[in-house]
Amino acid sequence: MIKERLDENEDIHTLIERIKKGDREAFMTVTALYQKKVFLLAFSFFHNREDALDIVQETFLRLYQKVHLFRKGQNFQNWLLQIAKNLCIDFHRKTYSKSKDYDREKPIEEMNLALADEKDPYLSSDLRGIFSECLKKLATKQRLIFVMKHYNQLEYQEIAQILGIALGTVKSLHFKAVQNMRGLVAPYLGRRL
Amino acid sequence: MSECKKFKKDFVAFLSKELDEEKEKLLQSHLDRCPGCKREMAQLEKFMKGAESLKMDIEQAMEAVDWEELPRKVAENVFKQEVFAPKEPWLARLSRFLSQPKLRPVYAGLLLGVLLGSLATYFVLRSPQLREARAARISVPSNFLESMELEMARRETLNYLEKSQYLLLDFVQSPSEKSAEFWQSDFASQKARELLAKKKYIDPQLDKYQMAKAKIICDQIELLFYELSQISVKLSAEEIEKIQKWIEEKQILLKIDLLKKELGKSEV
Repeated sequence: MIKERLDENEDIHTLIERIKKGDREAFMTVTALYQKKVFLLAFSFFHNREDALDIVQETFLRLYQKVHLFRKGQNFQNWLLQIAKNLCIDFHRKTYSKSKDYDREKPIEEMNLALADEKDPYLSSDLRGIFSECLKKLATKQRLIFVMKHYNQLEYQEIAQILGIALGTVKSLHFKAVQNMRGLVAPYLGRRL
Repeated sequence: MSECKKFKKDFVAFLSKELDEEKEKLLQSHLDRCPGCKREMAQLEKFMKGAESLKMDIEQAMEAVDWEELPRKVAENVFKQEVFAPKEPWLARLSRFLSQPKLRPVYAGLLLGVLLGSLATYFVLRSPQLREARAARISVPSNFLESMELEMARRETLNYLEKSQYLLLDFVQSPSEKSAEFWQSDFASQKARELLAKKKYIDPQLDKYQMAKAKIICDQIELLFYELSQISVKLSAEEIEKIQKWIEEKQILLKIDLLKKELGKSEV
């Protein structure tokens, strides 16, 4: 069974040094430790399991290729998510920008909006679909920040590091993302959220 | 109203628990006072919860993944493509080698060496003994200075003789009736005055370095120039012709030539 937590006397830098020497076991350990975080980011971004798994695969391949660029003192998780973020943006540009209605199983207009009147409308799968569709309509950077903040539970400071932008910019983009999402979701719910 | 606008910018950060303590307290107290903002905040909170609902989808998707198997699959693909760990570029390797902590004492030693070397150079160069020694080294033997002075005298004499020769040649070759005009011209009289002045300057040198032969000739030339500079329009053509003859008789020009050759040979 592959470890999902680091041993007390084994830190990530030791594992990285072993990967640099081509140690397969160390590579698998690092993959097991961070695969869920990368998947979470990619899945929240694309809302597609297969695409998210492709991103995971590609992210760890890039990790292996660029491992010598990682320096002691850097935050490994942020460094890895930076790779994943870049791949998400590239993948989105290459694949999704060609077709806007790429994976919409059901047109948003046909979703059961009556469910909005239920006691807990957020449990409705259609409403979750509305949120997911509206999320895809956000600009790439706003979408990434929204996903990282709400689903990866990252702090503004970490997001700023991963995206390579100023902390103030992250705050204002998150604010804009939330405002835009509210504007996009509101018409489908028949009332303003 | 503007106060509300200012606070609304922080609503999202407030719900995300990203506001610092002071700002959070300020916003909380504003919410307690402002029913409009309180309502707005409640709606925003509802929306945020709605966004959280997507987590259910994420959890479902994550449950469907075999996390045990995934690292193996990933590793299989990665190691199939790259049998060996990728080679680091030489520049990156070099910079990594140079930046390793165990080299720090070496760098410190080098830096110290450079500093000490610079200090030593500075103190050695500015020490008074060295400056004195350097000053002493500049002093040259007295015979060198003497020979320099002799050489200067020789050159000055040569120069005097040459200029005199040219001027006398002009005089001797000009017809006797025009000689008076020649000596009255600005050019000739100025040249003669210059040469007379120069003679006074080289006289002590000729005495000092015992250039007797040169002294005799130079004295004769001086006398001649003195006479010629006195020439006036009243002087008859016969008298001028007489002076020209005297120059030829005394072979002044030939003597000058010989003396020039002699002085030229004895170059220091």
